[in-house]
Amino acid sequence: MDGGPMYAGGDKSALAYERSACPMDYFAKLRAANTTKTEEFPGLVVLSNRSDVEGALRDWETFTSAFGGINGQDEPLIPLNVDPPEHVKYRRLLDPYFAPKKMASLQPAVDKHTNDLIDQFIDKGACDFSEDIAVPLPCSTFLSLFGLPLSEFDQFIKWKDYLLRAEAFTSSSEEADALRRQTAVDVCTLMATEAYARRAAPKDDLITYLVESEIDGRKLTDSEIVRTCMLFFTAGLDTVTVSLECIFAYLIAQPEARKMLAEEPGSEINLVEELLRSETPVQMVSREATHDLVLSNGESVKAGDKVMIAIASANLDPNGLEGADTIDVRRGDMRNFAFGGGPHRCLGSNLARMELRTVVRRWHDRIPEYSLAPGEKVIWNSSVLRGVDHLPLVWAK
Amino acid sequence: MKLRIDAELCEGHGRCWDLLPELVDADDHGHGFLIDPDASVPPELERKALEAVRACPECAITVE
Repeated sequence: MDGGPMYAGGDKSALAYERSACPMDYFAKLRAANTTKTEEFPGLVVLSNRSDVEGALRDWETFTSAFGGINGQDEPLIPLNVDPPEHVKYRRLLDPYFAPKKMASLQPAVDKHTNDLIDQFIDKGACDFSEDIAVPLPCSTFLSLFGLPLSEFDQFIKWKDYLLRAEAFTSSSEEADALRRQTAVDVCTLMATEAYARRAAPKDDLITYLVESEIDGRKLTDSEIVRTCMLFFTAGLDTVTVSLECIFAYLIAQPEARKMLAEEPGSEINLVEELLRSETPVQMVSREATHDLVLSNGESVKAGDKVMIAIASANLDPNGLEGADTIDVRRGDMRNFAFGGGPHRCLGSNLARMELRTVVRRWHDRIPEYSLAPGEKVIWNSSVLRGVDHLPLVWAK
Repeated sequence: MKLRIDAELCEGHGRCWDLLPELVDADDHGHGFLIDPDASVPPELERKALEAVRACPECAITVE
């Protein structure tokens, strides 16, 4: 997640498209060039080989995440933009809420949301997978988690798009920045209002959990609660959306994998893991250098330099992990950094995996065979979150 | 064959308990721990145990 140069126009869009359309080739070229300087991200240090990426994810003291906020926020989001030792206190509080057993208890709700969505279009024999599943499913999950009514759905989708794709709704970068900031204020206001309401009337939801939690023997402040909710809002919606899009964009070209999913319940577990690795929907994560250093290729990095850790590249780097440049959806044992690594490993990884597995399983139970609609193409959008705006699918009615 | 989990290295990715629930469980924070730290891996689980070892992004679970 990053609010940096994700939405470049002009020639940079072409570069972003090249990266999104075929990350395997794009990152192989980048690693072969053995440089951190890229056309797509001028002025930024892009780490792309396995050892640099693994090292940077773990070395939070050199590659800090505490560089302010993202997506129209000046203040650090929690726990994303906080480093140890403060970070540890927040993670101790939040990790249990996103632990596997907790997520298992949310699975029936996600299963129901998935079935409800499929009910709406299954008889038509066609849907836009992006608009009809990939976008709404994580939003419904988020509303369930936050104890918010489904009537907030349209508002949430609009806010998410304004925050993450402000450029698409405005005609200048100044306008986009203003839209992002206004939207951040709107979301923060809602979260603060909900937190206030939960103090008076607790519910069984994440906001109540935050309101009632303590660190260092004190309750969380309103600012801490809002900055935590804001992170979930920016990190929990589009990431799952693009992951679903990556998985299904892969599947439409892979009849054997579709057959496996349809015939072997449980096979989605390894498939999801392998595709998170090879497709890496969240392609890069951001850091900032805290001191001058020289990288393994001899290039120097200065204190304050913005660093992009290309986890998508490391995941495909066969140097240090044989076979990483191939895809085998039956294996689940290729270590990868699809959810980052080190202390900032994605807090929501258990939630994301549960959502992805549930949708892939439920879809193939109900729609075992399908294809891209005739005459349509897969057009990747150009952001560090690798997704498609539309994925029109058809199947026999 | 015996397994070992280095709690210092573990960041809670959850691959070990996901792949090898017979021998590994998750604590309340989602970090993996060996259900019986002293037990040897039964021969029929050795292949799965090695998968869990290879899958750990932090290389926190190892074979002794």
